[in-house]
Amino acid sequence: MEVEKGKTAKYLKETRPVPKEVTEHLKYFTKTKKTLLNALKEGDKTVPQLAEELKLPKNEVMFQLMSLLKYGFVETGEIDDNDEYFYYKIKSNGKSKS
Amino acid sequence: MNMQEQMKTLDYDVLVVGGGIAGGESALNLANIGYKVLIVEKELSIGGKMILLSKVFPTLDCAACITTPKVSEIARHPNITVFTGAEPLKITKKGEHRFEAVVLQNPRYVDVEACTGCQLCEEACPVSVTDEFQFGLIGRKAAFIPFSIASPRVAAIDIENCILCGACERACPPDCIDFTQTEQKYLVKAKAVVTATGFKLFDPLKIPRYGYDKFDNVITSMQMERELAPTRPFNTVLRPGDGKMPDNIAYVLCTGSRDKSVGNPICSQVCCMYSIKQAQLLMGSLPMADITIYYLHIRAFGKGFNEFYAQAQDMGVEFIKGKVGKITEKDNGNLILRYEDIEAGIVKEAEHDMVVLSVGVLPNRGIDEVFDNETLKLDPFHFINQSDILASPAKTSIDGVFVAGTASGPMDIPDSILSGGAASAETTSYLRREESI
Ligand SMILES: Cc1cc2nc3c(=O)[nH]c(=O)nc-3n(C[C@H](O)[C@H](O)[C@H](O)COP(=O)(O)OP(=O)(O)OC[C@H]3O[C@@H](n4cnc5c(N)ncnc54)[C@H](O)[C@@H]3O)c2cc1C
Ligand code: SF4
Ligand code: SF4
Repeated sequence: MEVEKGKTAKYLKETRPVPKEVTEHLKYFTKTKKTLLNALKEGDKTVPQLAEELKLPKNEVMFQLMSLLKYGFVETGEIDDNDEYFYYKIKSNGKSKS
Repeated sequence: MNMQEQMKTLDYDVLVVGGGIAGGESALNLANIGYKVLIVEKELSIGGKMILLSKVFPTLDCAACITTPKVSEIARHPNITVFTGAEPLKITKKGEHRFEAVVLQNPRYVDVEACTGCQLCEEACPVSVTDEFQFGLIGRKAAFIPFSIASPRVAAIDIENCILCGACERACPPDCIDFTQTEQKYLVKAKAVVTATGFKLFDPLKIPRYGYDKFDNVITSMQMERELAPTRPFNTVLRPGDGKMPDNIAYVLCTGSRDKSVGNPICSQVCCMYSIKQAQLLMGSLPMADITIYYLHIRAFGKGFNEFYAQAQDMGVEFIKGKVGKITEKDNGNLILRYEDIEAGIVKEAEHDMVVLSVGVLPNRGIDEVFDNETLKLDPFHFINQSDILASPAKTSIDGVFVAGTASGPMDIPDSILSGGAASAETTSYLRREESI
């Protein structure tokens, strides 16, 4: 088999179908990411504020938001007046477009 | 078909199974006196549990600052070869100083030599799944570098979660992602074997009354290690349930240790000390927080340990001799601990906003089954049996097979390193026996 470097995924695709759960999971992540980033575009928010606004469980918002922080879409802002919850905001380098 | 015919044969003096701190120490000592060593590590990085810790008791040195130079010395050593993502399937003793192992190398789908660790594949990958190296606190991509101080610090593809979209390949400057890689088996010939397969963490789901996984703000000590490490999952120490900065944290010692009802009657040796360490680190990063440690006995018998315990008390960590019976959750995510105050002899309740379960050290099962024609004996708790614990602590039931680190029982890092040293010394004397024949 002549293998083209940099384009090898297609060879494995022939023998290894992608399971449905994996595609479903990707759809869910992409949707949640969009929802969270859109909500943050309106202004800086804490995890409980995002959870309430988006009707999502708080732990789910926390997990996804912290992942977006790691991936460079979001950054940490100020802490609230009670020193309890941080505000999070869209990272200013413009990466949030995707 | 004869499997032997398709396998590539490799020759070494010593095969080290497990690349944690104990296996790494053994390998370095053996390599430094000229033996050729192969380390076979099943994870994507060497360094074991230690490389994922925050700081270490009792000196509070940063774990990465100690592990990173060791790990890079191992990676660079001309006499050491490292296979990551690999494990021995079968080890056969063919005769004195003659072992043969079948080693399975799982595909990483990345050319380890060519990858520069630039992370462009990570950025391009659309898939986000749970990060096992952050113990589930955060996500990672399907194309990913295991963690920033991993060795080798190169990408891997999580094929189970990959949608084969090819975005990583297109983003990779040196074209080192290769989905045509398949698993490889090697026939490894070695004169001696060091088993340094380490330990497994107790799974707190086995104690449902503590509510792990059900209550988001009940976490394990390993998760707290990650929250405290420089490569932490969150921007600071936060509750995974809602991102609140905790100010009243409880530790439940002996979770899954000294507890016959969960099948582990022995002490894990390190939980008291690592919990005291974490309490001190938390007081540093959350100066306003109250920390309470619920304990049965504090075991602080090592060098400097009692002073370390006293230091925590002086800093204001509260120690309650109490047996925690049950944990329940309030609507605000806080937790109510119902416990028996052992000194007062009464049942009490206390509220905390985060609970850390100090999970115990269990044997990593299965390595004994890899030995084909001889029996690697285990002790009554399923750790590898030390057949001559006083005179030759690394000796096992098979002549030429030595044990290093927590594979033989719970111990801390200094003892794991000492044990790795003992294993290398005993291996050397076994090898010298052959040379002198
Ligand atoms: C929460 C926590 C905090 C701690 N804090 C401290 C501290 O502050 N100070 C201190 O001194 N100690 C501390 N310890 C203890 C410390 O982690 C151990 O002493 C040390 O990691 C033991 O090293 P090891 O090499 O024996 O085992 P491990 O670190 O478990 O390494 C074993 C390696 O072998 C690999 N392996 C296993 N089976 C196979 C196989 N079949 N094939 C190939 N590879 C295999 C594993 O993947 C792993 O990489 C802490 C422990 C915990 C749980
Ligand atoms: S091929 Fe797989 S690993 Fe690569 S970018 Fe696509 S999903 Fe991620
Ligand atoms: S696989 Fe390619 S893109 Fe990914 S880190 Fe390595 S060199 Fe960079």
